[in-house]
Amino acid sequence: MQWEERRAELKLMLAQRRRGLAKGWYKYSRNPLAVVGLVVLCIIVLAAVLAPYITPYPEHAKPYTNFSAGSLPPSSTYWFGTDRVGRDIFSRVIHGYRFSLTIGIVVLGLGVAPGVILGLVAGYHQGKWIETVIMRITDVFLAVPPLVLALAITAMLTPNLMNQMMAIALVWWPWYARLVFALASSLRSEYFVREAELTGASKLHIMFKEILPNCFAPVMTKMTLDMGIVILVGATLSFIGLGVQPPKPGLGTMVAEGAKRLPGEWWGTIFPALAIVIVILAFNLVGDGLRDVFSVEEV
Amino acid sequence: MDGLLRIRDLHVGFRIFEGLLHVLNGVELDVREGERVGLVGETGCGKTTTVKSVLRVLPIPPARILGGEIQYAGNDVLKMSRRQMTLLRRHELTAIFQDPLQSLNPVFTIGTQLRDIVKDSAIGQGKRLSRQETEARCIQALQETGMPDPERIMTNYPAQLSGGMRQRICIAEALSTNAKLLLADEPTTNLDVTIQDQILRKLDELVEEKGASVVMITHSMGVVRDLTQRANIMYAGSIVETGKTHTLLEAPMHPYTKGLMASVPKLTGEGVSDGIPGRIPNYLDPPSGCRFHPRCEHRMEICTSAPPPLYSVGNEQRVACYLYREET
Amino acid sequence: MSDHPILSIDGLIKQFPTKAGIVKAVDEISFDVATGDTLGLVGESGSGKTTTAQCILGIYPPTAGTISFDGTPVGVMFNRRNKELKRRIRIVFQDPGSSLNPKRTIKQILSVPLRVHKMGSSRERLSMMNQLLEMVGLPPQEYLYKHPQGIGGGEKQMVAIARALATNPRFVVLDEPTSALDVSVQGKIINLLKRLAEELDLTYLFITHDLSLMRNVATRVAIMYLGKLCEIAPTAEFFRAPQHPYTKMLLSSIPVVTSEEEALKPEKIISQGEIPSPVNIPTGCSFHLRCPERMPICSQIDPQMQVLGNGHVVRCHLFAEIPKATHG
Repeated sequence: MQWEERRAELKLMLAQRRRGLAKGWYKYSRNPLAVVGLVVLCIIVLAAVLAPYITPYPEHAKPYTNFSAGSLPPSSTYWFGTDRVGRDIFSRVIHGYRFSLTIGIVVLGLGVAPGVILGLVAGYHQGKWIETVIMRITDVFLAVPPLVLALAITAMLTPNLMNQMMAIALVWWPWYARLVFALASSLRSEYFVREAELTGASKLHIMFKEILPNCFAPVMTKMTLDMGIVILVGATLSFIGLGVQPPKPGLGTMVAEGAKRLPGEWWGTIFPALAIVIVILAFNLVGDGLRDVFSVEEV
Repeated sequence: MDGLLRIRDLHVGFRIFEGLLHVLNGVELDVREGERVGLVGETGCGKTTTVKSVLRVLPIPPARILGGEIQYAGNDVLKMSRRQMTLLRRHELTAIFQDPLQSLNPVFTIGTQLRDIVKDSAIGQGKRLSRQETEARCIQALQETGMPDPERIMTNYPAQLSGGMRQRICIAEALSTNAKLLLADEPTTNLDVTIQDQILRKLDELVEEKGASVVMITHSMGVVRDLTQRANIMYAGSIVETGKTHTLLEAPMHPYTKGLMASVPKLTGEGVSDGIPGRIPNYLDPPSGCRFHPRCEHRMEICTSAPPPLYSVGNEQRVACYLYREET
Repeated sequence: MSDHPILSIDGLIKQFPTKAGIVKAVDEISFDVATGDTLGLVGESGSGKTTTAQCILGIYPPTAGTISFDGTPVGVMFNRRNKELKRRIRIVFQDPGSSLNPKRTIKQILSVPLRVHKMGSSRERLSMMNQLLEMVGLPPQEYLYKHPQGIGGGEKQMVAIARALATNPRFVVLDEPTSALDVSVQGKIINLLKRLAEELDLTYLFITHDLSLMRNVATRVAIMYLGKLCEIAPTAEFFRAPQHPYTKMLLSSIPVVTSEEEALKPEKIISQGEIPSPVNIPTGCSFHLRCPERMPICSQIDPQMQVLGNGHVVRCHLFAEIPKATHG
């Protein structure tokens, strides 16, 4: 008897979930640019995941030199041309996307959760000392320009991918703390929160089961838009030399290498730079579309 | 008396994810000059949509005007150009909405907002007012609504005033243009009872003085009774009953009107009826024929065929119900 | 009614310090609620009726005075109250749209009070939820897994009522439970509440501004103005023979729908002026500035509550000859 009820419940929930997704897609697809962004993003992600299998010269992403093929302009053999030591830029750009996407995912993975939790606690306890402590620490982090802070941290540690990601994550969490703080402190006065308090529900329940689900949409939208910026910060750090180290094909690193040879051998810089621009643009468009999906329209 | 506003067979829909919401289903409404008309209905029946259609402030996608005509003083509002519409809204039509906090700009003083309106409407009439004249007219408009100390109010911000005062300012703004038709959408719903009483009384006086017509939208039968000469009951996008207010309230004919009247708690204390069973229809797939038939205890075969026209039952009362078919 | 009152309020004062000065939201009120009664609390903005309810629930601790529930003093904030008290005093809020968490299903919403008060195992709780929904007239299979936005306003309020009753309470505060609903749905909710009060032996504190509704719901009515109680009387008496000038003003302002009701209203008292802000309470009797029967003493001395017999008390200098009351 109980198992059947459980099955019925699951079926209902699945049906609801499916309908919600269909409706979400409808809202999303009203914005043609968002759809374009999504398509581009899917292509990039697929390409990055399958990079060793689909790029013409995957070994060029590892230590490789072939000076006889160095500094060749774009051609049918080397679609984006080659760099100074003879490596195919196209293959390296696709492999470079792997670094960029990894940076985005790891940074947000590390930074969002603590930021959200701290913001939630601070927002619900607005007016108490814990809110002051949390928010003032947040303020300190926010007072320093993100790039400068990331730079300082990475410079103190050995420059490599992992340290770079941790540095950016440390810079990123305060934004989420502040966002969720604002949401939580305004949701605190909602009737359903008041009702849970009067019933005697624990603070943990209220914060995580009542307030947090209502923060989901803005946080998701911000995460999507942030992906682009995080990738940019990562590329900038690599450009300065504090991130992905050569000979690894980080996009920022490639831009730096090729920059020395501008404007003559433009393909060394322009293609990686364009790659960065495209992926950021794609995330921005998807973020825009998500914002439309989550907006509640009044009829 | 001539017909100032004539709405005939108005159909309006909204396109959403699931399809087309066919909200207005053939609205028919008449307002004569100097007349006060009530538009009564519950949430979702389409009253605000009707008003917005007259003002042509519906958000056109997703809204769509599917058919019908709205005649103001003989001209079809739906076919007017943008310029003509602007002139119409500036000089002939005026509106008051439910929440004065939304109608008043919070970052400007009352004086700034009122002066803008007075100057604008004067320019439209071909006059340019001096600063003193504008000021004098503003003060006069405020005084007419019974505001104490208008000079000080002019320097206040909306947030510094009570709800009743804000609504009075909205009324002052609306009537300062000397418009012929006032569309009032639940103007006193959020106010305390004693303040509501004062404001409605004042509105009554002012409208009488200026000879304006009013369409008073409300869900409160009591307000309609106190303020209007004719009443229209709206359900699910069309007018189901219309007539002189007192006769309609004392002897409602349409089953929905009867249900509504029975649901209103009375001072006589006979208890509250269980309301009308069922819910308002889903506009995506509304009932065929008369939209009230699923909830009606007098439902007949013919009710599902086509929406009933407004049959006359004498004494200027008309009912959109097949029960009254013979009496045409 | 029964031997000892379930709720007893004595000299309750609640003040809030604000930048504009001390706001005396509740200024020394005393009344009892007998078990099984439905006490109606009426007042306009600034009357203190909501603050009184909030003190009873423990949303605010009283500044002074005592609140006793079932004989025990409970005048502290809710986070310092024991769970047993939270189980026995419950509330239904005005706006069902925001009293139900839009991101949770009805099952999740109903499970919160059940889990917090450890009522049965999880299997038992499911059947309890089914029972609760059936009790308010909502078929569980349909509603248990829905989200609030998928159901109508009246149904949401029924879920809110089910949630309030989930802990087998004895006392329920109803804060304008039907004000946000259409009149055709209101009746169903009111009759449901009345039925449940009888079946489950509940006592209600029913707050509303709708006096016509009050007439059909409350067994006793108390009216507040600017933090003070003006009059308390059994319902029929309150409406038949109101004594306090404010009561009469309020009753004469309500919009009614039939001529029989019109005949029942006291003579028209035109209310003048705005309701004063609670920061600027007039000296003496707080109502004297608007009172048509104002006497010189009214601007100097605050009147005491006088007993008129039959459970009818009124606070006004017009009745000063009669012996004073200590409790309503």
